[in-house]
Amino acid sequence: MYRYDEFDAAFVRERTQQFSDQVRRRLSGDMSEDQFRPLRLMNGLYLQLHAYMLRIAVPYGTVSSRQMRMLAHIARSYDRGYGHFTTRQNIQFNWPKLRDIPQILADLASVEMHAIQTSGNCIRNITTDQFAGAAADEIIDPRPVAEILRQWSSLHPEFSFLPRKFKIAMTGATTDRAAIRFHDIGLQATTNDLGEIGWQVWVGGGLGRTPMIGKLLSGYVAHEHLLAYLESTLRVYNRYGRRDNKYKARIKILVHEEGIESIREQVEAEFAEVKGGVLTLPQAELDRISAYFAAPQYELVNARSVDVAREKILNPFYGRWLERNLNAHRQPGYVSVTISLKPVGGAPGDATDTQMEVVADLAQRYSFDELRVTHEQNLVLPHVKVTDLPAIYEVLVKNGLADGNAGQITDIICCPGLDFCALANARSIPIAQELTRKFESPERQAEIGDLKIKISGCINACGHHHVGHIGILGVEKKGTELYQITVGGDATEKAAIGDILGHGFVAEEVPNAIERLVNTYIARRESPAEPFIAAYRRLGKEPFKEALYGAN
Amino acid sequence: MEILTGNELMSGATVYLDSAGTWVEELQKARVFGKSDLEAKEAAIAATKRTGRINSLEVETVTVKDGRIVPDRLREHIRATGPTAPVFDRQHLDEDGHVSI
Repeated sequence: MYRYDEFDAAFVRERTQQFSDQVRRRLSGDMSEDQFRPLRLMNGLYLQLHAYMLRIAVPYGTVSSRQMRMLAHIARSYDRGYGHFTTRQNIQFNWPKLRDIPQILADLASVEMHAIQTSGNCIRNITTDQFAGAAADEIIDPRPVAEILRQWSSLHPEFSFLPRKFKIAMTGATTDRAAIRFHDIGLQATTNDLGEIGWQVWVGGGLGRTPMIGKLLSGYVAHEHLLAYLESTLRVYNRYGRRDNKYKARIKILVHEEGIESIREQVEAEFAEVKGGVLTLPQAELDRISAYFAAPQYELVNARSVDVAREKILNPFYGRWLERNLNAHRQPGYVSVTISLKPVGGAPGDATDTQMEVVADLAQRYSFDELRVTHEQNLVLPHVKVTDLPAIYEVLVKNGLADGNAGQITDIICCPGLDFCALANARSIPIAQELTRKFESPERQAEIGDLKIKISGCINACGHHHVGHIGILGVEKKGTELYQITVGGDATEKAAIGDILGHGFVAEEVPNAIERLVNTYIARRESPAEPFIAAYRRLGKEPFKEALYGAN
Repeated sequence: MEILTGNELMSGATVYLDSAGTWVEELQKARVFGKSDLEAKEAAIAATKRTGRINSLEVETVTVKDGRIVPDRLREHIRATGPTAPVFDRQHLDEDGHVSI
């Protein structure tokens, strides 16, 4: 993992001291809320429906045991004993008091964490594949470049007041687990004709009220020129992005209105000016940062795999967990383990202070002190010996973390919704809870197979509903919460935005509506090997529309 | 009919302006402004802003049914009582959370 150098440590410490003084001045009345609000937002402090909410950055989703224990400490000491892991690989605390924020930030700084740029019209936390540095299908570990981008984008003087917020996601694998096509910029590792590794640059993707799939801006940018290329892209956006209408201010609108060819022309012209200049990344610096992310000292082990079929007979719960929650690792004898934060009836992404400490202990003992936060609101032990799986599972069972449902219908992405969020129009967590109860049976989940449900409580789409195989969007109409259902979305490299099939449903009708979609899929699929999304693509929307609304 | 609501500075807790000019936690103690109370409402808003201690100040429409104040919006029901899922008690004022106009 990256460790702060003296500059990083001083920077975060000074920022904490600066914000502490701003809080003091706000409380003493020396500063008005109009003056204070942009300052607190720059430090991740929002005011929600019931209380303040502090959003803490987890850079590219990587967190150490020590850091996770600090998050548990904050949950216990300053909040209500839990935290909420978000779709941007961050964590949010929903109940802090303003007077405690300076101490919370000081505590975070002590473990090399902060809340800077988790709000505001700046470059936000850079997200990546939760299996980065571990996945068997990876071309390159994206985290060294993500860390370099983090340093480049932190308090970047030119990009601290962009037309709108700016989100970058990246993956070093062939399978896109980071939803890069739905970010302002998406980066995917690729190779050129010489076999050298560089980056595809996708631009103008996004969700929200105007969902867009990103367009290919460049098929290959070498490592050494990536900063210059991104700076050129941001500069074009900063120059031409709309500031007159916040709903049209994201780069996706600029790309859509101007056309990708025009944007590419502008970026390339800018790039020609800055290429080879101060933003050129020296190989020595890339090597220096990469050293922080060197592969851990894996053991050479004899046991290379797990007999899942056998384990399913001996202990069906353990067997199902093995079947669903492991990801292939590049190192023989190792796997990555997804720890589900999606218990039946739970709030997706929530973990208690005790659970955070348990997971930190597991990471320390079994995964080289490292954890990941996924954009699907789960946690990951990235480097686990297959022989350690039984011991890990036992601990997870004791702590309510052993749901073997990764990628299944109950592994739901869900925003906080109207229960917490000042922007929301409808509640989302109760819908997720009801759906997990509806499809609680492990056998039923296994029958359904891979199916991603994503729920948002408003059009801002923090719950990624547009790219759910089944998406649910809460709206408010004449005082009633209604839920619009979309089908066919896909956040992977086969990027697709879900189709709206008809009118919305009241909350009580949603579980049965989803069940009708599921039953239609099961009845019409070619075989159990054909996943829901593949069946939808083959069959088209009509059978699913009929399932929801009946035959015309 | 309308009430004034906001979030207290220190705790962020949801509060309502009562008839004595104090910002309190209980929705049922909120002062209800009728159409003829426009001047009083505007004066209360101005006085509240001068305190600098109430954020997100909003005018909310309500209905009084059987002597109880019922917000027109679901959002306000949730603000008054706390999250419904997972169920949490609403945020409460600290000892230094007293605000009067």
